[in-house]
Amino acid sequence: MDPDHESEIPRPPEVRVAAGAPRADATVTPVADAPGSPDIVRPIVVFDGVSKWYGNVIGINKLTLRIPPGVTGLLGPNGAGKSTLLQLATGQLRPSQGEVRVLGHVAWNHPALNRRLGLCPEQDAFYEWMTGWDFIHTCARLSGLGRAEAHDAAERALEQVRMTDNMNRAIRGYSKGMRQRTKIAQALVHEPEVLFLDEPFSGTDPVARRELMDIILRLAQDGKSVLVSSHVLHEVQTLTPNIILLNHGRLVAEGHLRQIRDLIDKFPHRIVLVCENYRALAARIVHWDDVEGVKVLRKERSLLVETHAPDRFYSRLPEVSLSGGGAIEEVYSDDDNLEAVFKYLVNK
Amino acid sequence: MLFQLDNVTKTYGKITALKSLAVEVGPGAVGLLGPNGSGKTTLIRTLLGLINIDAGTGSVLDMDIHSQRLDIRQAVGFVPEDECLFPAVDGVDFVAYAGELGGMSRTDCLQRAHEVLDYVGLGEARYRRVETYSTGMKQRLKLASAIIHDPQLLILDEPTNGMDPDGRRDLLELSRDLAHNKGMSLLFSSHLLPDVEAVCDHVVVLGRGQLLAQGRIQDMKQVHHRFFEVRLKDDPERFVRHLRTLGCTAEPRDDLLLVQIPADQTQALLWQTAAATGGQIRFLRPQRSTLEEVFLKAVAEV
Amino acid sequence: MPIFDQGYQHWDGQLSGHGWRWLTVTRQGVRAQMKNRLTRVVLLFALLPAIGLALTLIAWGLLEQQADFIRPLFAFLRLPRELMEGPKAFRQPIWSAAFHFFFSFEMFFSMILVMLVGPGLISQDLRFNAIPLYFSRPLRRFDYFLGKLGVIGFFLALVAIVPAVLAYLLGVLFSLDFSVFKDTWRLLAASIGYGLVIVLSAGTLMLALSSLSRNSRYVGLFWVGIWIISGTVGGVLSGMHEESAEHEARRAEFELARLAGQGARKKGFDQNEWMRIQEKANAARAEAARSNWRPLFSYTDNLHRMRAAFFDTHSSFVLLGKVGGRNNRELADQLVPQYPWYWSAGVLAGLFGISIWILTTRVKSLDRLK
Repeated sequence: MDPDHESEIPRPPEVRVAAGAPRADATVTPVADAPGSPDIVRPIVVFDGVSKWYGNVIGINKLTLRIPPGVTGLLGPNGAGKSTLLQLATGQLRPSQGEVRVLGHVAWNHPALNRRLGLCPEQDAFYEWMTGWDFIHTCARLSGLGRAEAHDAAERALEQVRMTDNMNRAIRGYSKGMRQRTKIAQALVHEPEVLFLDEPFSGTDPVARRELMDIILRLAQDGKSVLVSSHVLHEVQTLTPNIILLNHGRLVAEGHLRQIRDLIDKFPHRIVLVCENYRALAARIVHWDDVEGVKVLRKERSLLVETHAPDRFYSRLPEVSLSGGGAIEEVYSDDDNLEAVFKYLVNK
Repeated sequence: MLFQLDNVTKTYGKITALKSLAVEVGPGAVGLLGPNGSGKTTLIRTLLGLINIDAGTGSVLDMDIHSQRLDIRQAVGFVPEDECLFPAVDGVDFVAYAGELGGMSRTDCLQRAHEVLDYVGLGEARYRRVETYSTGMKQRLKLASAIIHDPQLLILDEPTNGMDPDGRRDLLELSRDLAHNKGMSLLFSSHLLPDVEAVCDHVVVLGRGQLLAQGRIQDMKQVHHRFFEVRLKDDPERFVRHLRTLGCTAEPRDDLLLVQIPADQTQALLWQTAAATGGQIRFLRPQRSTLEEVFLKAVAEV
Repeated sequence: MPIFDQGYQHWDGQLSGHGWRWLTVTRQGVRAQMKNRLTRVVLLFALLPAIGLALTLIAWGLLEQQADFIRPLFAFLRLPRELMEGPKAFRQPIWSAAFHFFFSFEMFFSMILVMLVGPGLISQDLRFNAIPLYFSRPLRRFDYFLGKLGVIGFFLALVAIVPAVLAYLLGVLFSLDFSVFKDTWRLLAASIGYGLVIVLSAGTLMLALSSLSRNSRYVGLFWVGIWIISGTVGGVLSGMHEESAEHEARRAEFELARLAGQGARKKGFDQNEWMRIQEKANAARAEAARSNWRPLFSYTDNLHRMRAAFFDTHSSFVLLGKVGGRNNRELADQLVPQYPWYWSAGVLAGLFGISIWILTTRVKSLDRLK
């Protein structure tokens, strides 16, 4: 490894890129005392060498994972094991190997623990004849709340998801968005500490989606933890930069999005600079030794720069911008978003 | 003129799906947006000539929606939203049958079927039974069967719903290619606004059965000239303080800073501040409303 | 240009008009069903009654020509001499009877075929949600239903109508006498007409059942249920009716006998008396048969009654019964149901109407809210 290269990228805390990924030596065990974080960050969900197979078919393969509090995104292509992971975490499945602990307790066969967890599953299966109110009230009672408590809790949950107007109609007549919101209300009604959401936004229109996202962010602010599994990457990106990426039942990456991106050195960072005198800028930038490629985008009056040391590159921008030739008008990278990271890590 | 509706009303019992809807759309890639219950499905079915409207007139590709309904469906391709399959056939048979149902001869169908299956990327799987296809493959199969007769207008209803990121990317690329490079007009109905932005140039926004907004995406996303979105590498406190002394305002929004600079200044001010405070600007763009903001604003006005 | 664009190509071919669109649906359905080996086997077996019909007509034709080698066969069958001497006079009743029995046996195979071919037609489309794919194309609901009906129609035509027509032609050829055609052309028309009745009735019934469930196995079971259970119900009711008629007759006889022989002592079982009672019962039964509505419960019996109407089997059997001067109405009365044919027609029409109603309810057009 290039020593110059090494010193540029700070060792990020609590980031692991699993073995088999581009940077083999970056398998760092979580450092408890990272700068600025509390001494012990108690993970909400812990998977310890967990495997699960169905007959011969592998669902999860030796997964070791610690999910911190807050909102975390769970990503992966179809068949990666996301649903299996959620089912293991909520105690519906028993691991074939290893142990799953949620909030410190073993998840399997632990009904009392489920009182503190909420699950919004992907499948759409309701008792169609019940009204929304009936359904949520029943779920509240099933979670162990007393009659009066359940009444209040149901009202509160339906209010939170903005279903109060429609709660006395049969579920049969609900639109897709309303059904999703009812599912989320059902997961919230008993005020769990941890929420597992599987594709919560599917079928919702942008208005409902924004409302639901606000609910999730508010829950996180209130100290609850949420694990959101979704295929729609830009939605997850809006919610949280902390992600877990699975592929073929194995863990590919875990942690903060940008730090993961920084560790993927197989693909240099692509940064776009928009400037009036873009060619002159190109002439100056091409001399920098961390720059691996400069592409001229004539139509947009911009440059697409490839660099393997983004930190060094960015730190030189103010200087080049101010030293004659016109200020750089725009700087952005279409490369450090979730979509790009997903593509790089999953499609080897 | 791609399609045009004039004062179209359709009610189902007590529910008014379309209320005096008047809209005119030219050829190109058009996104169809609207909250649930806004009449999008009814509009699409009206454009396909599947519905007896209560009042109003309209035409699709210059064919009247009252009198030429079957002809419209011969010239339009449709990719439905739900899981749909013809049972017990393989990929080629599926697409060929779809073509035959549209009026093509069997030989033409078979030839075209292989061509479009190559185009959508199902070349390898075409002789397998369609029940064995994955979700992404089924979507592409539906797309292939919708373009087999080379329609002038292709209507896609929530095409990327439930697909994983790879599948979504493939489908969006195909849609973009058809719309921009192959001259096919597209009506792309979706709740996922980034997908609509990736494929379409125009949008039509519906709400409560009426037209709320219409126009080119680029025109609708206003640029706020003195506002910039900035992201720094580290803690922005020093940067913000310095900015404020220079007469700018700066407020955090999501993980960015929204900075407003005085009227006579340019971005150079921000670079100066960065140089002065030792901050590292990693993102700098003029603020533009996103399509989501445009949409929410249009819908809120109802 | 040396390098050719591998991407999407445009196409500007001809698109056909709308009239024969239903045929596409039929072709696809037939293609799918022919792949099934069981269907092909049953088709083969279903040809047996057709072969039987053809042989009968051929044999009769040869008899009419008084061909020498055929006489021993008929002598073996012990046909009445009247028939042997002057077959031409009995041509019509014999041909009618032959077609009658052919369709009677063919009914069994038809029901089996419909059970094999029919259930998947609409239930699979509902299960895999192919309906939006169909109706988003230039296809009306009517074309769709007609196309699916055509699949059943194809197979039924293959085992019932086509063999009947071919056998008829063979029979005409083998009798070497064009007056045959004049005598029996009604049978040709009746075959085709009756065939169409079966297709319409059984076809729409099967399509309606197929649209009721997503699982084609259940549909097959419904069909077998309707066929066999309705047959059983009709049979049981008829049996009970006959039993009670016989019982009535016997009781009346014994009453009379008791009153008559009150003086004399009964000497035990009397064969003659027994026979008289039987005859009385038969007469009562024949009388009651004219208004016996019980067979209407059985689906296949209704179809049989229509067949008897189409082929006018009743008069044929009456004629045959007159052979040997006996004026035996037994054949007519026992083999042909006596109640009016329009009762059965009414039942079948009612079932047709219900089937159409079920189909239009289950396969909704897309002009609806969700």
